[in-house]
This record gives sequence, C-alpha cells and structure tokens, in this order.
Amino acid sequence: MPERPPPEMVTITIDGREVEVPQGEYIIKVAEDLGTYIPRFCYHPRMTPVGLCRMCLVEVETPRGRLLTTACNTPVAPEMIVDTESAVVQKAQEGILEFLLINHPLDCPVCDKGGECPLQDQTVAYGPGESRFVEEKRHFEKPIPLSDIVLMDRERCILCARCTRFSEEVSGDPLIEFVGRGNQTHVITFPDEPFASYFSGNTVEICPVGALTAKPYRFKARPWDLEAIESVSMVDASGASISIETSQNEVVRINGIDNDATNHGWLSDKDRFIFQAVNSENRLTAPLVRDDAGNLQPTSWGEALDRVADALGSVRGDEVASIGGANNTNEEAFALGKFLRSVVMTPHIDVQVGDALNPDFLVGITPRAEIRDLDRAATILVWAGDLKEEFPTLYLRVRRAVTQMGAKLVVVHPRRTGLDDLAAAKITYRPGEGPEVVRKLAAGADADYAAARELLTAGSVTALIGLTGRAEDPRLAEVVAAYALDLPGAKVLPLARRGNVFGGLDMGLAPTLLPGRVPVTSESGRAELESAWGPLPDAVGRDAAAILAGLAEGEVKVLLLVGADPVRDGRNPDSARAALAAADFVVSFDMFLNDSNQHAAVVLPVDGFAETEGTVTNVEGRVQKAYRSMTWDRLVWGPERDGVVMPDGPGIQELQYTPDGGGVRSTAGRLALHSGRVLYDAGTRNVQSPALAALVPDPAVYLHPRDASALALTDSQVVDVTGEFGAVRLPVRIDATLAEGSAYVPANLESTWMLGVPDVVTIEASSAEEVAE
Amino acid sequence: MSAASVIADWSAPNQERARRLLETYPEERSAVMPLLYLASLEHGYLTSAGMTQVAQLTGLTSAQVQSVASFYTMFKRDHVGRYLISVCTSISCYLLGADDVLAAVETETTARDGTTSVDGAFTVEHVECIGACGGAPAVQVNYELVEGVLPEKATALCKWLRETSPDVVMTDAMQKSFGGVRSFDWGIGEEQGAVAPVPAFGPYGSTGGESAR
Ligand code: SF4
Ligand code: FES
Ligand code: FES
Repeated sequence: MPERPPPEMVTITIDGREVEVPQGEYIIKVAEDLGTYIPRFCYHPRMTPVGLCRMCLVEVETPRGRLLTTACNTPVAPEMIVDTESAVVQKAQEGILEFLLINHPLDCPVCDKGGECPLQDQTVAYGPGESRFVEEKRHFEKPIPLSDIVLMDRERCILCARCTRFSEEVSGDPLIEFVGRGNQTHVITFPDEPFASYFSGNTVEICPVGALTAKPYRFKARPWDLEAIESVSMVDASGASISIETSQNEVVRINGIDNDATNHGWLSDKDRFIFQAVNSENRLTAPLVRDDAGNLQPTSWGEALDRVADALGSVRGDEVASIGGANNTNEEAFALGKFLRSVVMTPHIDVQVGDALNPDFLVGITPRAEIRDLDRAATILVWAGDLKEEFPTLYLRVRRAVTQMGAKLVVVHPRRTGLDDLAAAKITYRPGEGPEVVRKLAAGADADYAAARELLTAGSVTALIGLTGRAEDPRLAEVVAAYALDLPGAKVLPLARRGNVFGGLDMGLAPTLLPGRVPVTSESGRAELESAWGPLPDAVGRDAAAILAGLAEGEVKVLLLVGADPVRDGRNPDSARAALAAADFVVSFDMFLNDSNQHAAVVLPVDGFAETEGTVTNVEGRVQKAYRSMTWDRLVWGPERDGVVMPDGPGIQELQYTPDGGGVRSTAGRLALHSGRVLYDAGTRNVQSPALAALVPDPAVYLHPRDASALALTDSQVVDVTGEFGAVRLPVRIDATLAEGSAYVPANLESTWMLGVPDVVTIEASSAEEVAE
Repeated sequence: MSAASVIADWSAPNQERARRLLETYPEERSAVMPLLYLASLEHGYLTSAGMTQVAQLTGLTSAQVQSVASFYTMFKRDHVGRYLISVCTSISCYLLGADDVLAAVETETTARDGTTSVDGAFTVEHVECIGACGGAPAVQVNYELVEGVLPEKATALCKWLRETSPDVVMTDAMQKSFGGVRSFDWGIGEEQGAVAPVPAFGPYGSTGGESAR
C-alpha cells in the first residue's frame, strides 16, 4: 500500500517564535500544537472549518499590511507572520464577544451549559467586561423539541453551525438547518420532520452554548457537581471512548471522547443514553431463588450461592455449560473461564449467544484490519449487518473514509443499508444465495457485478465482514473472508456485534479456544495452561446451540446464563425455552429479568456497565480500560493494558471454510428470511432506557413489490408470517430495496422475536375476523 | 423516487420546465432556487409540500430546502394575492415620496404593508432597493418593474389591476400607462410578462415567455 508522503514543512512566525509547521494546516491547529490557544466557537477539529463566528481572529502580515483574519480556516503559508495576542487582536476578540452577547440571554444560572460553556468561559477570558447594548434582545418560544430527545432554546444559539455541519458532514442526515436571515436566523427542523437521527446527541455535546439540550440530562445536574471517568461504550464492539459522568453516585450523562483509533469523539444516541438502563427501577437488587411454588423469591446471597454450589457439585463437570459473557470485562471473562475450565471442568462455554460465528474466524483472521485502515483503503467492502444499525460509530468512520478520504465503497446486503447512498457499487442478494454472489465476484464473468469487481480489484481493500442478518448461515462470513483475502492489499475486520465479545473470545469463552487465542486442540498450548491452572478438560466444547440441544437431551444439566437471553437471541425461542425447562438447574447472572432467566432456579444480580472496572477489547483487538464510575462492587483487576493485540502468524488455525460455499444453508425457491438488526430493538437495555424505549420502531414484515403482488398483498395489510420455529402476525411494508424472494423482519422487536430465526418463512393474509380481535 | 413521480401532480408545462432545469445543472442541487419558483408558481406560493417536492428533486433534505427558501424574501412561504405590489422604500425612492406611494397602494388595495387583501387580489409589501433608483419612486407588480410611480399613478395602477384583472402584467405596458420618469431607456421592449407573483424569467420557468407570446 502506498504510504502517504509526509507533509511538507514551512517556516512561519507565531507571536515572534519561528517554527516549522506542516504546510496546509490551519493556523488555529498549528498554534494549538505549539501551546497557544486561540479562542473559537465554530471551529471543531473533526469538521470542515467555516469561519462563521469570527472569534478566532488573529493578525497576519500581508503585502497590504497587518490584517485580521480567521485562524480556523486560514492555512499556514511559507514565511507567514502571525500575531495571536496583539492589541488589535484583543480588541477584535472583545468586539466579537460583545457582538455575540447582543442577543445571547445571559441566563447562565439556569442554563445546563453554565459551568462548561465555551461562550461563558471565553467571555471571562477574552471578553470586554461590559456591553454597550441596551436594546431588547431577540426572543423565541422556548424550548422547542427538535426530536423526542433533543430540545432547542433558540435565543441562546450563536449561529456557529456546528450542529448543522455535524448533521450534514459527519452523520449525513441534515434534518436541522438555519432558517431565516439576519437576527431572525435560527436552527430548526422542517415542520413535521423531526431531527430523528441516530446521532442527534452529538450536536448537544458540541453546541458551544446551551441552545441544544438532551432530555435525559436537561436540568439534572450542574457541571461542577459531575464526576467524570473514562470508559468504553459496550453498546457494540467498536470500542467507542466515552466519559461517564455521575452525580451523587448516579450516572447522569455520557459524552464522547475523541479517540483517533475508534470513534473520533462521536457516539450514537444509543451509546449516549443507554445509561438510563443502569439507573432503571427494574434492576435486580437481591438474589432470587425459586420457591416450592415455583416463584422467584428474594433471598440472601449465602442461600443463593449455596444453591448454585450444590447444583454444580451434584453433576459431572461436563454436564455444566455456560452461555454469554459479552457484557463483561476481560477480567471477569477470564475469571469465569478459569472457574469453568479448571474448577468445574467443563469445556462447554460460549460467549456468543445467537451469532454462532466461528471463533477462529473472529480472533484469528490475518491480515486483520484496524479501524484506522479505513482511512487508507482504496476500496472498502462491507458485507455485514447494516453498520448504521449495528455499529453506528463504525458507520461514521466508513462514512468519513468515503466522503473525505476518497475510499470507494462496495456494499453487499439483502436490503438497503444506511451506507447505500455512499456506495459506488451495491449488490443486493437473497439470504441463502451469498455463496453464489462470492462465486460470481470471484469468477468475474457476471456483468452485473462488473462495477463491484473493478473496485475490489483496483487497490488496497479493507473488508468489514459479518452476518448480514441473523438468518444468514454464519459460515458465509468465512467464505466471504476467504474471497476478500485474495483481493489486493486486503485486510479483514471480522464483525461480531456484542460489547466485549472479542474480549470474551480472547479470554477463552469459546468452545474451541483457551485464553490467549490458543486452540483447545493444541496439546502444547493446553499443557502450558495446565501447568498454571491444573488439569483441564481436553475436549472441544459445545457452542450455544449445542448446549441448548444438550439440555434438551439431558446431556447438559446445569446452565449458567451470563447476561444472556437465548430465548430472545437464539434461533428457536420455543426450543430454547424447552431446553431451559429441561435443565436440572439454571443460574442466571443479570441486571434484569428476561425471557430466559424468568425460568431460572437462581438469578444473581450483577453490576452493570459503568459499575465495574476492567479492560474491554474491541472488534480490532484493541484493549482499552473502562473505569468504574459508580461503586457497586469489589472486583480485583488485571493489569492495565492498551494497544491492539494482533494475531501472530497465519491465524491460529486453518479456517474451515469451503471457498465454493458448499454446506452453507440454501433457501432456494422459498421466501428467505432476512432478520436484520435495528439499533433501537426491544432488547432489555433499550427498553429500560426511557429515552430509547420511545424510539423502538413498530414491527412489520417487508416484502419486495413483486413478491407482494405475487402473494396478492398490499402495503399495511396484516399477514401471518410463519417459519419452522414460530409465527407472528405483522403488517406488510412494501420495500423495493429488498432482494426479491426474501422477507425482511427486523430482529427482536416487540413481537418479531417470537418468529425465531428460520431460514425461510411463508406469508399468508390474516383473515379479517382474526385481525379484528 | 423518480423526478416525474415526485411532481406528477404538477401541470404539464411546469413538469416539463422542472425536467429542463434539472438537466441544466451538473449537480441536481444547483437547481434548487429556480425549482422553488416553479413550486411557487404551481401552488400559488411556496408550500411545505412544494419544498418537500423540491427536496426530493434535488436530493436535499426538506430542512435544507427550507433554509434556502427562508433566506430570500422573494420565496413567499404564505398565501400571496393575485398581484404582488412591491413598493421600494430605500433611500432614493424614500426621498421622492415612497411613503406616500405605499400609503396610496395600501388605500387602494385595502391591504396593509405585509398583508394580503381580503378578496385575495393583492399582497402589498415594502422592499429594499430594486435597482431603479434613477426612476424613483419605483414599484413592482409581480416583479415587473414600473418607474416614476407617483402616488396618484400608483392608485390608478392598482385600480386598473382590479378592474381589468389582466392575466399577464408586463413592464413596458404598465410603464406606458402608469409610469413616469425612467432611469434610462432600457432599449428593446421585453415580450414576456408575469402571470403570477413569481419572477417572469423564461429560463427559470416561471411564466411569461411562453404564455405571453
Ligand atoms: S444550536 Fe448550538 S451548535 Fe447549533 S448553531 Fe446554535 S450555537 Fe451552534
Ligand atoms: S472559530 Fe474561526 S470563525 Fe469561528
Ligand atoms: S432606492 Fe428604490 S429603486 Fe433604488
């Protein structure tokens, strides 16, 4: 891959100091790197400068004499002479602040931004001290809701365009814009088109005044009362850096932290507001055990733990199994894995609940991409779930790579995804026909795929590969990866969604892996671990699906559910429920009751996100520290680590893929289910966060217009969707972006989970009488 | 959605104009302003639905289109009378009695500055300099310019509009009957006029050219 040449350096003079700086860099950035802070409002390092607020004026010597110019959008040039604190500059700064405050309401004592407000702070530091303005300020009705989450107090706005630029440039959904002119200008949505963006919370964070506020934090706390700690978002596995802010031992806000490797400071609204679940009234606080009448009753820890110990002691080690652990830190996962393997002596451990991706593929594939590779890629291949729904901050990185770094994008998916508008080539295929698509791409014969093929063979490729939907055969990801690795300069980022699933795999929470990505089947690897841990089971364990099957057959008797809900997240809700019922004993570690642990013998409440401390590993293998913001427990930590842990050598084990896709489940001739995930699904944490619960979409089944007309169905008609595991009644939505021959049912909405995840479904109109009931 | 289906409810000539406008620019979004005039012509003023249609035609969001539309006073986002009377009150016209002209127009049309008459015939507004300072005081009817319009001429102009309710208004014709001193001789007369309170530039599709001829 051609490395970018280092930037040319130029010599300039800033405040009398001669310095070498990279050509083309803006004065404001150069000065900041040299330790000189130039005040600013509209400038944001992650967005294109616009020179709107004029706060960053500096004096620059020109052939026409010394002139005031904006430092945020003036690039340095050879022999430039810049003065950032001359008397003229100071007068300009005072003038700009006096001007900005003409219409700004000075309601700081009741404003949420007061105490952390750039306008307040810079007025103190650079302002004139008093204003000559005695006239009436502008007034607006306040606040107006821009969406269910974001509110706008227009009179506070200083028209810096940070929020509007963010929504256009970064998140690509410009639903807010300036309207009006002169002193009537303000930021607003189009009537009846709310600011329904997955990323709306970022505008609140970057607004340099208190004009934009978010409901979950509005009037909740004052900045000086907040304690902030750095942590990692566990909403998905992208490893977004966050600052968790608490007041009186309660999380009140989450902000983004600019991490160059991951999220650039941006968060999805789910990352930002999911903390409400931590504060939920419905959290479990005491251990629950099942009484003789079959009801869960609160009890003491001693009693609950005795029951668990008795159950574990009453069966053979390999009759015990564990599902889950992706919401835990690496240290917790390590402790759990060590306990299960060396004390209980069971190999039946799986951190993945429903995805069933090959652990060797997830942690072992090489060359493995970092998120940063997106910025250098000539072509990006996304053959995975809709990133906007499943990996929102990673979606922003792909978006940036395409819109600003010049990468070309190829998207392969059964339906429209959030990235399609940016894609130079898009392939829509029926779930089940993925291997066929790979074959055609590789063979290069098919004219339909010529555009995609050309892009994929043109230059260095970074491929993001995962499951496009839950009904997709997990082995397809390996087939795709095998194809992608043959492309020029290819690097693959395998995607699995759950918070710390990669950390769980690294810590050995997989049927095939010991801690440190050592295969269970490696004699030497196991021997080394046994020298520390004592004897270990040597068999390859059962994965989540096989564990449930083992429960039903009586071969597995005791089950640990570690923050897992296999009824909702597995393929077949009924058989998962039956398996749990067949178990001798189920113990669940969870923050909430769910469809699975309602039937457990013992439910142990656990610490949640923000309450535990440890390390978390993201999709790249990057290990980051998550600090604890609240005190709920006492756990002992492993040593702090940072950096990306890359697999060494050619992967830990040959991937068991068949490049021709043989063995991947086929759905030929029937309506294939596309079970794609949505960001705001009816998962427990969403439902327990009031700000997000309101955003869960209504369930529906989406059909291609031709399939709908073949079945004589119309939009909004109510139908019965039936698969091998269950049925659900849903309204039809006609969707021309969906592959013909498939039915899209968003995963895990209020009713759709009851369908399970069959490969194929049949669809029949519900009879009118039944619908009426 | 295809452009045609977005504006399927527009008149055939306006659909055709929209199609031509979209072809004119290498980037569809560049056509946003002329399309806003067309939408105004189609609906009588710039409705929310019209802005959304223009957004769909240009690949912008409705919020972005609204931002453009709200910046310019010539995009009317509320009902406009059949004739929009714009009285210049900038400095030259002001010095030559624009206030009296405006008062005369208000009296004759029964519409106060910034409002529409009850019968829907007139909207009256005062505007900044319309570039006819040499012919002050200047007035526009549906953006067609008349110069040297003293108060009594203004009254007569409005009366004529009400009584004859012309389908097309044209600068040269109105100048002859109701105008006075002109800034200068504008040369060859224009053949096109305005059929609605939308500027009468053929290429921008609003009116004139075709229907006046
Ligand atoms: S609302 Fe805030 S971020 Fe948006 S333009 Fe106004 S001051 Fe800037
Ligand atoms: S920061 Fe430079 S103009 Fe706003
Ligand atoms: S001042 Fe009236 S036209 Fe210029």
